[in-house]
Amino acid sequence: MTTLLVLRNEIHRRFLIIWDYKFDLLMQLMTVALIFIGASFFLGHGQFDTRQVPTMLLGYSVWFYARIVMLESSYHLAVEAQAGTLEQMYMSPFHASTLLVGRMLAMLISATVLLSIPVGVLIVLLHVNIPLHWEAVPVLLLTLVGLFGFTLILCGAVLVFKQVQTFADLLQNALLFLAGTLVPLSSFPGWLAAISRTFPLAQGIVVLREITFENKSLFTTWANGGIFWLALNSLLYLCIGWLLFKVCERVAMRQGSLGQY
Amino acid sequence: MTNSINHTARLAIKLEAVSKIYRRQSKKEIRAVDHLSLAVEPGQVFGFLGANGAGKTTTIKMICGLIVPTTGTITVEGYDIARQRGAAMGQIGAVLEGTRNVHWRLSAWNNLMYAGGLKKCFGKPLRQRAEQLLRELDLWDRRNDPIRLFSRGMQQKVAIACALVSDPAIVLLDEPTLGLDVQAARTVKEWIAKLVKEQRKTVILTTHQLDIAQDLCEHVAIMRRGSLLTNRPLNELLQLFRQQYYQIRVRGEAGRLAVPDGFTMELEGDETVFSGPIEDQALLNHIINRLHAQGLHLNAVHRIEPNLEEVFMNMIEEKAQEQEVQYDHSISFA
Repeated sequence: MTTLLVLRNEIHRRFLIIWDYKFDLLMQLMTVALIFIGASFFLGHGQFDTRQVPTMLLGYSVWFYARIVMLESSYHLAVEAQAGTLEQMYMSPFHASTLLVGRMLAMLISATVLLSIPVGVLIVLLHVNIPLHWEAVPVLLLTLVGLFGFTLILCGAVLVFKQVQTFADLLQNALLFLAGTLVPLSSFPGWLAAISRTFPLAQGIVVLREITFENKSLFTTWANGGIFWLALNSLLYLCIGWLLFKVCERVAMRQGSLGQY
Repeated sequence: MTNSINHTARLAIKLEAVSKIYRRQSKKEIRAVDHLSLAVEPGQVFGFLGANGAGKTTTIKMICGLIVPTTGTITVEGYDIARQRGAAMGQIGAVLEGTRNVHWRLSAWNNLMYAGGLKKCFGKPLRQRAEQLLRELDLWDRRNDPIRLFSRGMQQKVAIACALVSDPAIVLLDEPTLGLDVQAARTVKEWIAKLVKEQRKTVILTTHQLDIAQDLCEHVAIMRRGSLLTNRPLNELLQLFRQQYYQIRVRGEAGRLAVPDGFTMELEGDETVFSGPIEDQALLNHIINRLHAQGLHLNAVHRIEPNLEEVFMNMIEEKAQEQEVQYDHSISFA
């Protein structure tokens, strides 16, 4: 119960800060809309191809979650180290990783709002049909578990090295092109597709497309190994992320660099 | 110097043989804190003094669980920081030096709500405590304004309120009056005194403003280069440096009166002030008689008490001289 309250505390704080940056919020909404229109136009060779759009939209949406969660978590951690509030966070009886999960949840919710509004408007305007299946929800959650783990690795790096923003930027751009967000992995050369499947998000996007556009059930995706690989990938990222975060935390506390920037 | 911990009564903070050694890239070792042992009794203001780089902030951060000691153990209200971190952190509220400590984008009220939540404090008790703190600090009317619009003094007050909102037993204040104007510094000072007097909190205070430390602290520890120079009650410390130093005031100008060795004579308004060391009562009587004999009217005689700043400077300089002598010896014997 207390853990839930502290998660709510983190989510509430994050929302207050997001709301304080209303103009930025508006700009982000417009950016999402612009990227989406631009990508649809590009993939449709200068025209809005409503058959291409849903596949891209789904991949892009998952990547957008990654972008918000990865970049914002690591960025805000660095900002807090500079401001001294990171040390206050570490003086909490709660584990810092629990508080970080609260922050990531807040970012997931804010990313959902940021995505839903422009994508919803564009779906209506461009008459795009995206079939919604409940089975996509657990797959998305499993994908996000891996994303959380990956973000924990980045956050750990922030605690020790502080300036990892450019690296985080590189990673999220690499994910945009290598995780099959814009173009399905099936269009990749075999060797590249094999490498891409080891990244977070990639397998999640594959299974989500199977469920959403090929009408496959959870059972079928389990039988073809899709969900198994996704679960393994996500759990590995979560475990490795958790472990590395703890190691980095320990290193920062030994170096006395937790609050330094 | 380390002071041994003999008593077994419940202590607010206990450090046993704590050292912190940083290993930099050049493989050079920096001993920030060296075998430090001290005990802080509950319900007092404990002053932690030292020049820059003495190891105060490292020690404070080790007590706050932000830096892991290389050796030694730290307990807070009986909880070992290394083994019972969660429980230990629940006992502490801290305002650290040189940082904001609060979220500038949030209002004073939301900062307090968030800080309380971080310390497992929620609901009505938290709201009541936050209201009480904001009213006491005269910030209630501006509770909904973002902190970034506040003056430095007001921001510091909010930071202290955040440290106290969960009602911790121990409050660590690292340079709480740094950068504050006289009025804001006085408010913070009065508030610290009130915390101990009315709420029986234990306050660990580090400051370079030794007048503030002298006014507030019951117990003082002075650090130099990672080690303790002294750790004793303030009165005892001042007593150590108390000299037979007197000030004698006479009405009018004393003219070319011969003064004893070590004495100074100054004209202050319509008074002449003689100041200097007088080691026995007989010498004091002799001087007073001489002044009478010169026809000077005696206005006042009083002994000058040493202040913490003088004690601090004396101790630091003495130690520095001691080390220089040791160094010279080591060279001459080499």
